[in-house]
Amino acid sequence: MTAAARAGAEEDVRRRVPDVGSLMAALDRTNYLADVGLATALFLAVRLPQPILLEGEAGVGKTEAAKALAELLDTPLYRLQCYEGIDAGEALYEWNHQRQLLGIRLAEVRDTEVTETDLFASQYLLRRPLLQALEHPGPRPAVLLLDEIDRADAEFEAFTFELLAESAVTIPELGTIRATHPPIVILTSNRTRDLHDALTRRCLYHWIDYPGPARIAEIVRRRVPASSGPLALQAAAVITRLRTLDLAKPPGISEAIDWVSALAVLGVERIDPGTTEQTWGSIVKNRDDLELVGSRGAAWLVDGTDG
Amino acid sequence: MAEDNGPAQNNSATDQPPQPPLVEAAALSAAFVTAIRRAGLATSPDRAARLAEALHLIPPARLEQLYWTCRVVLVSAREEVPVFDAVFAAVFRGNAAPARPGSVPGAAAAPPAPAPPAPALRTRPAAPGSQTPGPAPGTPQRPRLAFPGRDGSAEDGRTDREAVLAMVSADEHLQVTSFAELSAEEVAEVRRLAAALQLATPLRLSRRTRTSAHNTASLDVRATVRAARRSGTDAPALLYARRREQRRKLVLLCDVSGSMDPYSRVFVSFLQGAVTRAGAEAFVFSTRLTRLTRQLALRDPDQALARAAVSAPDWASGTRIAECLRRFVDEHGRRGLARGAVVVVFSDGWAYEDPEQVAAQMARLRRLAHRIIWVNPRKAAPQYRPLVGGMAAALPYCDAFVSGHSYRALAQVAAAIRGEGPPSQDTHERARGKEPAHAH
Repeated sequence: MTAAARAGAEEDVRRRVPDVGSLMAALDRTNYLADVGLATALFLAVRLPQPILLEGEAGVGKTEAAKALAELLDTPLYRLQCYEGIDAGEALYEWNHQRQLLGIRLAEVRDTEVTETDLFASQYLLRRPLLQALEHPGPRPAVLLLDEIDRADAEFEAFTFELLAESAVTIPELGTIRATHPPIVILTSNRTRDLHDALTRRCLYHWIDYPGPARIAEIVRRRVPASSGPLALQAAAVITRLRTLDLAKPPGISEAIDWVSALAVLGVERIDPGTTEQTWGSIVKNRDDLELVGSRGAAWLVDGTDG
Repeated sequence: MAEDNGPAQNNSATDQPPQPPLVEAAALSAAFVTAIRRAGLATSPDRAARLAEALHLIPPARLEQLYWTCRVVLVSAREEVPVFDAVFAAVFRGNAAPARPGSVPGAAAAPPAPAPPAPALRTRPAAPGSQTPGPAPGTPQRPRLAFPGRDGSAEDGRTDREAVLAMVSADEHLQVTSFAELSAEEVAEVRRLAAALQLATPLRLSRRTRTSAHNTASLDVRATVRAARRSGTDAPALLYARRREQRRKLVLLCDVSGSMDPYSRVFVSFLQGAVTRAGAEAFVFSTRLTRLTRQLALRDPDQALARAAVSAPDWASGTRIAECLRRFVDEHGRRGLARGAVVVVFSDGWAYEDPEQVAAQMARLRRLAHRIIWVNPRKAAPQYRPLVGGMAAALPYCDAFVSGHSYRALAQVAAAIRGEGPPSQDTHERARGKEPAHAH
């Protein structure tokens, strides 16, 4: 249980990701901009057996990191969104009872024989993300994203880790399914509760810092092709300035992308106070914040001067 | 099921391209992990092994790369980053300045530590524990504990209390006497009692369901089919899914500023009992907010309190209620901690802040929480009116306003948490100061 079943990266993966620099370049090609810290973290997650726990403010790209990693490895991403009360039936597998019943009825109608083995064949198995990730046939391991693990209860956390450490699951009717390519596991947490020590001890960890304006502008340019020219940089400056205010919900990178997309749709090429006021709804999403920003004024947001 | 079972799981360490041995990875890992552990971060031998493996994969050609490799492997929470930075700076950069200044807002910058001029990398990170770099939690400037017997306030009124004492039993006496007047031993006794109070929050419907034979809105098809399979009948008994009930979360925020000092020594025991027995989340605040759930989760109350006091360095200083409430809502409450929860605030409402700020933050908390209970020990005084700026501003947002100044009053707090507190219109009347508040 303590030893992770993934004994390090496979040949093919090692060839694709030989070092941190090449991982950074590959992430860049998938239009995900990572700094050295995040690239190191993802590199170690790929090459070491341990899962990685990513934390950071909402909207800094925790989930995107997993998607980008899956894309550059050219392997599927299985995502399990955790929530309160999630259990094995929703995370691992469940038998499709309705379909089994239907199978029996059909067999009766057609006057054919069904045996128990027929009914518990794999076409009646509903595969959930954990099982899918374990069953992934390769040639490279899948990426398994356990999103917002802090929302699930502690028992589920323990169950998941047990399963991942074994890289195998036993389904009584089918037997043991053992992963040939144990998945690369990425966890994210919003820290609504303290994660269990046993989990943090087994994981690598990275806190994703909020990027500076130049990087935000670069990300926005990648995501919104129409935002060439000064629009992206201007928007990044506004977002960065907004974040100096004491907002309840500071805008994240996704808000920056949404906002610039909105401006692009409206045909705006330069941000001025008027257009900012029109489109506040894309970046400030809380009434208290809206009042605060309103009192500071759109002119300040746009160019940093009062009036 | 895989097409090739080839080199699937061989050890990555075996066929690495040969790399210039900058440092002996294992020795470096072991020494650095020791330094990290001495600074108070949780480490383990397998972390050291993991670091050695990581250093093998990522040769630390540059200091920045070494920094990130070590950090990803050894740090397991954002709070640990400043300590890690300080140790890293002391060991590898040969100074005690924070490695990445400003990387964690709000975290204390590393205080200057004796800096051995250790030139980086090639040297063994010599005697890493000989200096204690960084703001190691638990080492420097141990703040004074708030609970050992205070003098001063305990003295006045001692004589007439003596007379009353003669008539009531020790138990009775403990039940009703204000915590501020108790001696150190009595406080210890009350703390034991307080930690044992049964706390239970109201129930709410959970997302989980359980199977039930009684008719509800949703049929549990799977359970029905499973049952039918077992019994083998054609007309199975229908089974229904019924939403389970679950206790609401309990969040306790305790003011440990100077003005609360006589009470906080008992209240923190109450917090501890709530954390260990009711799974509550506990925070203390005065000038800043500190999450104490982890520190209080120890079974031994004295040890837990000592740890808590170490973790909250601003114990027994001034109060900034609005600021701390804001931090709580921003960093914890909105993320889910306070949603639908029962929030209990222990504070006298004395703060050097604009009451409007307090009101604004209470309004935000109100929108998240299921119930807000305010515990103010000053309420016990017969002439008390909640007129202090902050208190008056907060009161309209509270569902219950109780004193909690004695053991019996603490039991009322427990009742309020269960949802049996005084009705809210009572609270509003008191907010306007119409009637004298009674303690018990």
